[in-house]
Amino acid sequence: MTMKEIKDFVAQFNASIPLDKSRVVKNRNRYYLLSKELKQQVPKNFFYAGAYLGAVKGASFFPSFLLLSMIAETKANRLVVDKKTAWLFICGRDIFKKGIVKGDNLKKGDYTLILNKHNECLGFGKITCNLRGTVDANKVVVKNILDIGDFLRREKRSSKRQKRSRKLQGNNRKPLRATRK
Amino acid sequence: MSGKQFFVNRYRKLGWTHKQTKPKQAIRINTTTASREKVVNRLQSLGIALQKIPFLQNGYWISKSKFSVGATAEYLLGLYSIQEAAAQIPATLFTELENKTVLDACASPGGKTVQLANQMKNSGVIIALELKKRKMFALANQLERSRVTNAAVYQMDAREASKLNKKFDCALLDVPCSGNYATDKDWFNKRSLKDVEKNARRQRQILAEAVKVTKDDGELVYATCSLEPEENELNIDWAITNLNVKVEEISCHGEEGLTNVFGKELDRSIEKCRRIWPGQTQGFFVCKLRKLA
Repeated sequence: MTMKEIKDFVAQFNASIPLDKSRVVKNRNRYYLLSKELKQQVPKNFFYAGAYLGAVKGASFFPSFLLLSMIAETKANRLVVDKKTAWLFICGRDIFKKGIVKGDNLKKGDYTLILNKHNECLGFGKITCNLRGTVDANKVVVKNILDIGDFLRREKRSSKRQKRSRKLQGNNRKPLRATRK
Repeated sequence: MSGKQFFVNRYRKLGWTHKQTKPKQAIRINTTTASREKVVNRLQSLGIALQKIPFLQNGYWISKSKFSVGATAEYLLGLYSIQEAAAQIPATLFTELENKTVLDACASPGGKTVQLANQMKNSGVIIALELKKRKMFALANQLERSRVTNAAVYQMDAREASKLNKKFDCALLDVPCSGNYATDKDWFNKRSLKDVEKNARRQRQILAEAVKVTKDDGELVYATCSLEPEENELNIDWAITNLNVKVEEISCHGEEGLTNVFGKELDRSIEKCRRIWPGQTQGFFVCKLRKLA
């Protein structure tokens, strides 16, 4: 297994992460990093295991937030943003120059991780203009590509899918099942 | 044999007077991603008022919040999970979890799987089983959000766990149950004794299979959010008689398990179980078993 998709993705941030090739498993289109114990003990037909790294869909690689956090531990491209900007970013918005509190050495076309003031990775984006020179404070400088608000969007999509499927079955009433806590 | 009056009468016969309650919303701090103090301070600075749950180490009730606690950056970063207070008890009952091989028999939506991983400090292995595919996506999201790295999830009926060809040190049996009225306002209208008995039969099958895949001297924690003795004390009484297990002493919130159910005398050791009638928490039942060699 090559892990090329992961390496290429990480390289976009001017970074590399040490991944033990023998412990990375590709299951369908998804990559997982397994601990030694998991690698030894778990049968291969799992649905999810260890640290989920990301999925390949067509020619694109969709990283997990665990992978982004692993990249953030290196000296990868990064921008630290203020509280308000962090929240707007999580809501799917792009980033204005005025929201950046740290990191101004990136150029147009670079990919960068977005961190909050606690140095926690909120996602990543693409720089839309050089940050090195003078930039208007109200100009969008980072286009949002992926942010942790995606967890909520996934839930929303999944509940919409369930409603749609119930409708298609001609049964809008939720069936009575055993309850989970 | 259904309806509010029917069930309320049953509860009275078990020694409890029904009252309408609404459990407080609760969270559990994920201590593998941040310290408890740090998370509490951050939530308080957002204007969320927290009240420490006295019987839990990392649990807090939400006293006041102007917005959903499921939509904060801290939640999305996996610093805490939304988990009902009583539901936080079962995972805390294992003696020692680090570096162990643990079965989470009915894992979705994953709150307790994450809690187990926290307690294990992401060491060892958790095998999490879930029967329904649509629930597995939510479970996977929960594990990714909470930075769990020691779990493997399988689409499998817990009653077929032996197909994994594995022996476990510990097993958490958070079995599917009939639920209780405190978390479902229509509960009395839609449940009947027939449902309860059907769930109880399935729970016994899960218990039997879990005992089979647990190592000798291994620990099993059995939990339901049902108030019905068929799914709780009567199932444990059945397990003591038919499976090679004994009930272990536990120290946690709740009343002693019932040893006389509708006139039937049960094994005395069942008083070591804990029954939680609805109040500040939802209704709950929890029991720790040890597999005998």
